[in-house]
Amino acid sequence: MSETIEAVLTQYSRKSDDLIPILQGVQKEFGYVSLESVKKISRYLRITENQIYGVSSFYAQFRFDPPGRHSIKACLGTACHVRGGATLLEMLERGLGISCGETTPDKRFDLERVACLGCCALSPVVQIDKNIYSRMTVTKLTELLKEYE
Amino acid sequence: MTKEKRLSITIDNRNVEVRPGLTILQAARENNVFIPSLCTLEPLPSYGACRLCVVEVDGLRGFPTSCTTPVEDGMVIRTDTAEIKSLRQEVLKLLLSEHPASCLFCTEQNECKQFQGTIRKVGVTTGCRYCPNDNRCELQQVTEKIGLTETSYPVYYRGFPVEKYDPFYDRDYNLCILCGRCVRVCNNVRLNGTLSFKQRGKLTTIGPAFERSHLEAGCEFCGACVTVCPTGALSTKVSKWYGKPDNQVSTTCSYCSVGCQILLQTKNNEVLDALPDYESPVDHGLICVKGRFAIPEYVHSALRLSSPQRLTPVGYEDISWEQAITEAAEKLSGIKPEDCLVMVSPQLTNEDLFVTQQFVRQVMGSENIGSSMMSDLGNSLQMFMDLVLHTDFFDVIEKAEGVFTIGFDSTYGYSPIGISVKKAAQKGTTLITLDSVDSNLDMLSETVFKIEPSRWADFLDLFLDYSPKRSSEKRLADLVSLWGDDIERVNKLFLKSSSNVVIVGPKLIGATDAQGVMEKLIKMRDTFSWKVIVAHPYTNLAGMLAMGAFPGIKPGELLSDGDSRSPLTVQTNLSPLDLKKRRKVVYLIGEAPFDVIPECDYLIYQNGLPAESSRQPDLILPASLFTESGGTMMSVEGRVLPIQKAVEPYMNSKPDWWIMSNIAEKMNKGKMKYKDVSSIQGEIRKHIKGFPNIKKRLAFSKINVKGTGAVQVKSREGIFTQDSYRGIPLAEVVMGMKAIEERVQSISCSDKEAQ
Repeated sequence: MSETIEAVLTQYSRKSDDLIPILQGVQKEFGYVSLESVKKISRYLRITENQIYGVSSFYAQFRFDPPGRHSIKACLGTACHVRGGATLLEMLERGLGISCGETTPDKRFDLERVACLGCCALSPVVQIDKNIYSRMTVTKLTELLKEYE
Repeated sequence: MTKEKRLSITIDNRNVEVRPGLTILQAARENNVFIPSLCTLEPLPSYGACRLCVVEVDGLRGFPTSCTTPVEDGMVIRTDTAEIKSLRQEVLKLLLSEHPASCLFCTEQNECKQFQGTIRKVGVTTGCRYCPNDNRCELQQVTEKIGLTETSYPVYYRGFPVEKYDPFYDRDYNLCILCGRCVRVCNNVRLNGTLSFKQRGKLTTIGPAFERSHLEAGCEFCGACVTVCPTGALSTKVSKWYGKPDNQVSTTCSYCSVGCQILLQTKNNEVLDALPDYESPVDHGLICVKGRFAIPEYVHSALRLSSPQRLTPVGYEDISWEQAITEAAEKLSGIKPEDCLVMVSPQLTNEDLFVTQQFVRQVMGSENIGSSMMSDLGNSLQMFMDLVLHTDFFDVIEKAEGVFTIGFDSTYGYSPIGISVKKAAQKGTTLITLDSVDSNLDMLSETVFKIEPSRWADFLDLFLDYSPKRSSEKRLADLVSLWGDDIERVNKLFLKSSSNVVIVGPKLIGATDAQGVMEKLIKMRDTFSWKVIVAHPYTNLAGMLAMGAFPGIKPGELLSDGDSRSPLTVQTNLSPLDLKKRRKVVYLIGEAPFDVIPECDYLIYQNGLPAESSRQPDLILPASLFTESGGTMMSVEGRVLPIQKAVEPYMNSKPDWWIMSNIAEKMNKGKMKYKDVSSIQGEIRKHIKGFPNIKKRLAFSKINVKGTGAVQVKSREGIFTQDSYRGIPLAEVVMGMKAIEERVQSISCSDKEAQ
């Protein structure tokens, strides 16, 4: 792993301005920002691990634990909200036993809420991995989850 | 000099003139106009977080924050209109919606202040104690000034558990108002970077990365965050519930040779806390964990010796001072000069050390005045003293173009030096570090040389005279192959620059072949004109040599007239001291080197705390510590610094000089009857002009020693990872120092495994 981090780091300058691009690069490569990679970035940019964490935890885009195998994004944009998105999210939270932003202990699912997926005509919408599922209901969604292992 | 242009402004209908470049808040404070603020922190740039310092300025839209608005000529500022008042109250209410307010608003507040009559379930003498910071809280003061008496918003209480698992200070983030002072002081003043804001919005918290403890995250426990916190969120463990201190005494920390100025907070004859002095020219308020947190627990330790004690066949018996002094005088009378050995700690004050040498020379008629330092250093003693006495001023670090640190880590000590190095490196000075384990300076270092101490001398040899051909020399071959390229590269950088500084840490003392390393350091200084700074734990070593508390050195003899720190050669007759020879009496003054002192018939132990040893002293004399007796010390930079008495001596303990001069008086020998510290200073003045009011930094002559100095009795390698005061390791007395010590040990162990 450490060699790949080095490979990511060498694409960037050693100025602290490059911190966010580096974090994005690391997340793209490994799926998350690990303690180990923060340590490497710290040496590379000469800023402390704690400062790097402070910056990265500010942005919702960075995560600090390995992602699950599938990611579920429940849309709670205006249209989806009106057509029952919140019920879907609540059902997912209860069914999976996790809250938004968490990963199931078996690493099967990540759950996230998003503001809009840009297809309001199909609301309520749930995205699993790269697939968009339209006009979702609780029953449909329960069946759907079984397809993802 | 041209007269500085002044700006004319109007604050609250008053015309004042101020310097340009100030903010409105600074200008107002200079003119005694109160504007509340909870986030400003001089000398850091304004931050504008708390929004309490809003003012009205003619011609500016809305209500600008005064801490971020610079003054301009002709500005008309109003700080106290009804509108501003209500705006501030509103801001404060919002701020308090996350802060428990029971300490701020109380229906009985006025009566309570006047009569101390409290509600029935609370003790009358203690009053209510909701928060450790009660009565010394900036938020409380600001709330009172702003005149807020109730809050109308629902309290959004965050319900964090109080974090108590780290040493020295507790953190209750329920009280935090996110002003950012701690984060800024940690990152921008201490250059440490342990604290940062995590998450954002209402989820924001403060702390290190990844839920790690502060200890794991590299916190120095310098306490700067605790000092600047305007609420009770951060509080010192030892003095948490003691309330407001009564008195403050400025003194010098006696734990190492830097000589940081500290402000001791006292109450009821007890030291509660030690705060940094940001005005101090020595350390600029950048004290380390030892000065900040390790003093109250040490000086008020439950282990303190409280009364003179005599060893009897059935154990120790408490005796009076009269009896103790008579007994000591009897044992010391009528013995030959060579039969007595006095061991004295370099951590005593100049005055104590001066009286000690008088005692040894005038009363005992000998030169047998030793120190455990002699056995720590063995053959390298003379070179070490030479390096220490000609240590350069710390301000050369920030002016240097190249800095080289050897065995130096400033996490838990010597932080004024470490922070200067960090500042220099951030400004672009080339920094290289040489150590066997990770150092806190590695992050900013151009190259980290990780090499065992036994090879440091070889490394320096190679560094000072590099050529790839030297791999033909057998002892250097592996260093050339491992580090050759790095040495060549950094060498070029250092050769280019004319102002290089080398900083050596206390690890040098315990290093194998310390002598070889010191030889190279002296060569760097004398031949290549590097500046040398030695960070060492023997607090008043310079004073010890100036006072002549050393065999063969008379008081004042080593001081040179000039104020230059460059070495002048003067021959002195520094004689080696035999630490192995059996003696009749051994007298330990502030020392506990039971593993190096010789066999003896009678052992006198004079110290503040008992030492852990199987050897039982025959007579124990309780001595007062540096918080309890006045005097001066001489820092490694050659500054004469005052040590002020902050509290009365603990129980029946007495200052070291008092004990010695009383024994001498009893023996009817020597002219050393002193009433107080100033009478000793008068005597010292005969040898050192102007003492102790010496403004310039003292310079020393070069020591040239015949012979090898003291004999190394026993290898004490590794002992210098431990900080001690008067021979007692701080980790044995101060709980938090133990946690720190364990952490240091575990890092160096895991580091060795990794290799």
